[in-house]
Amino acid sequence: MSFKSIVRELKEMKDGIGNVSRRGSEGRRWRSRTRSHIAPDHAAPPSTSVEQGRWANLPPELLLDIIQRVEESETSWPSRAVVVSCASVCKSWREITKEIVKTPEQCGKLTFPISLKQPGPRESPIQCFIKRDRATCTYLLYFGLVPSEDERDKMLLAARKIRRATCTDFVVSLVADDFSRASSTYVGKLRSNFLGTKFTIYDSQPPCEAAIQSKSRLNKRFNSKQVSPRVSACNYSVGTISYELNVLRTRGPRRMHCVMDSIPISCLQEGGSVPTPSLFTHSLDEPTSPSPASKGKDKVTEFSSTSLVDIPVPVPGPCEPLVLKNKAPRWHEQLQCWCLNFRGRVTVASVKNFQLVAAVDPTHKISSAEQEKVILQFGKIGKDIFTMDYRYPLSALQAFAICLSSFDTKPACE
Amino acid sequence: MRYLALPLLSQNLTESTARAQTLSLYLQLSLQVSLSQRNESTMSSSSSSLPSCPKKVVTLKSSEGETFEIEEIAALQSKTLENMIDENCADTPIPLPNIKGKILAKVVEYCNKHAEVGVDAESLRAWDAEFVNVENTTVFDYILAANFLEIPTLLDLTCQSVADMIKGKTPAEIEKTFNIKSAFTPEEEEQVRRENQWAFE
Repeated sequence: MSFKSIVRELKEMKDGIGNVSRRGSEGRRWRSRTRSHIAPDHAAPPSTSVEQGRWANLPPELLLDIIQRVEESETSWPSRAVVVSCASVCKSWREITKEIVKTPEQCGKLTFPISLKQPGPRESPIQCFIKRDRATCTYLLYFGLVPSEDERDKMLLAARKIRRATCTDFVVSLVADDFSRASSTYVGKLRSNFLGTKFTIYDSQPPCEAAIQSKSRLNKRFNSKQVSPRVSACNYSVGTISYELNVLRTRGPRRMHCVMDSIPISCLQEGGSVPTPSLFTHSLDEPTSPSPASKGKDKVTEFSSTSLVDIPVPVPGPCEPLVLKNKAPRWHEQLQCWCLNFRGRVTVASVKNFQLVAAVDPTHKISSAEQEKVILQFGKIGKDIFTMDYRYPLSALQAFAICLSSFDTKPACE
Repeated sequence: MRYLALPLLSQNLTESTARAQTLSLYLQLSLQVSLSQRNESTMSSSSSSLPSCPKKVVTLKSSEGETFEIEEIAALQSKTLENMIDENCADTPIPLPNIKGKILAKVVEYCNKHAEVGVDAESLRAWDAEFVNVENTTVFDYILAANFLEIPTLLDLTCQSVADMIKGKTPAEIEKTFNIKSAFTPEEEEQVRRENQWAFE
């Protein structure tokens, strides 16, 4: 077929069907790509590099269609890992997948590690359980109502308790076999005081607003050829938990008071929201001097070759932080015990069991429906097995850290 | 036939008036008759025209210049072709320089199959499954052809088959199946590594 006749036909086609609508811009992409097919006889047979490009360069709306089908059908773990696979194939697939996947707040599903640092859904909580291993002082957070028969549950976070001279640390990681703070799987930690009455939650990355600044610092780090042997890791304090000492009451419930510095109280108001990180960064960076607004919590601790700088994160702007308190249980006269309605999710009585709600007063203008919502619920269902249900505005990491504090409180509180 | 309102004939009618009225009545009657005749003939012609009228066919031309005929009724499954038929652009062969002959032949086969009457859903599903039971590169071409010709059922079938191929695979397996080479920046590479470590542990 001569080239001239092909060109003539193309012109005819353009004239004849000029008013036919085409989807998106793939029409243009079509024509440019097909020139290689229309080329005269000396066109080489499709080389492997052309073949390789095909699936990566599928028109975006078609790739979106395909990946969306995958994402919508694989909603629960472990099969949901395929969504992570799609985001790991190549740049175009990654972009589309990230576009499709919604935050836990929007869809109630956990997909990427960053989902663990994003607030949970507003309506119904995400239900998880925690397994405690006393021998190794390890606590594993799993997704699911209760441990399944075949033990194929998705592990979300792992924590290891490390006792120090004057305090205890719970180091939180994405994997159960690596709790090094220099590792890319390090997520944050919970530090308690000596008495086990006061805890501080640390995140390995700052909340949203500050993340923009740290990202630029991160880029600088990757430009340097060598990472200095003394790697500095920053921890950002995002909340504190305190347990009230019960000196007089011996068997009464413990009173918890959680100040979530990174969550403004306004998030519970009509139309309110929480800063939601979208990128999992590991802020390995030069130690910066703490901001003047710090609350005096900065400590520098040595841990093998890494030095840690604990930077408190003040809540952005003049916002008041969200405070959580535990829902007061009722005294059941007949059963002679304190009771909370755990809706079947907690079945063994334990002093560790609690439900957290927002501590509000009328000036906050928060609806009573919101005030009633149990934001975090934790309780025992068996030997070394506990359930943890959390919802907006807490993230899985914050919820897990608060629950870990319940494991460490000393008899002074009971 | 409608009941004609007959003019009242008064006793004092002159002969010419009577003649005029009779004529008018005759004309009305004959008009009615001819109208009903035409209706009957129209009905009879529509029932008798089906077997004798030739089926309309559309000609498609592949990128290599090969032509394929497809019945108009089957072609209507493609919104692109439907538009062209509506705009009267389908009387000459339609060039499709971005679809190879091998693929176009199969697309025509698909449209023909789906335009058939009396095929039960179960066997059609089985036929569809067999249709996409081909190499990835061919499925890829089907997707692009279905997208260009805007055949929703074929696009749905092919995209779903690709989605089914992806399910249950690790990134390495997907790359191998679809012959994709991943190229990430070191930053992205670390993100990817961390995500996979967590997702697949």
